[in-house]
Amino acid sequence: MNNRIRELRARHNMTQDDLARKVNVRRETIVFLEKNKYNPSLRLAYDIAKVFGITIEEVFLFESET
Amino acid sequence: MLYNSNFVLDLNNINMKRSVLVFLVAGLVLLTSLLWMVNSAGMADLTDTIQFGVIGLLVAFAVFIGFRRLKSERRGEPAEDELSKSILQKTAAFSYYISLYLWVAMIYIKDRVNMDTEQLLGTGILGMAITFALCWLILNFRGMRHE
Repeated sequence: MNNRIRELRARHNMTQDDLARKVNVRRETIVFLEKNKYNPSLRLAYDIAKVFGITIEEVFLFESET
Repeated sequence: MLYNSNFVLDLNNINMKRSVLVFLVAGLVLLTSLLWMVNSAGMADLTDTIQFGVIGLLVAFAVFIGFRRLKSERRGEPAEDELSKSILQKTAAFSYYISLYLWVAMIYIKDRVNMDTEQLLGTGILGMAITFALCWLILNFRGMRHE
């Protein structure tokens, strides 16, 4: 599973710390997500998509779709 | 509450309590090991010295974990989140599995090496602790991509 978190974060002028605080996780979790080293729970995926004001499918891309 | 510059050590906070507990346990382990070293001064052999060194490394690892938790708290982030919890769960599962083989190896070694029962048990327990620390480091570095 790939994601566009880094791109969306840059577009919203947000640091990893800002995003981590908004979705109530540690900054390392955001780092792992951006490096595709961790697949988030549905809850976290939903929270991240909500912060960017888009749907989960627009943030997280499954390998068969990319 | 203990105040240190702009950082507040809130001991009513459950996560903060857990972080302090990590330091407390590490301190107790170090203190007990120091007592053991002082009592066996002059009688400590190479195995004891190696064991003490390994305990030192494990205490350093615990202190590192404690500081990591406090750093997260200071940034206004949770000390534990879903990633750290799943890494911890997987570490526990892996290290348990490896520990079973470790103890089988220790039983095999017991009949072939001249070691006291206490030394053997101590080595086994230290081996378990090292296994846990190594599994945690590997999972933390590798990530949990396919979970």
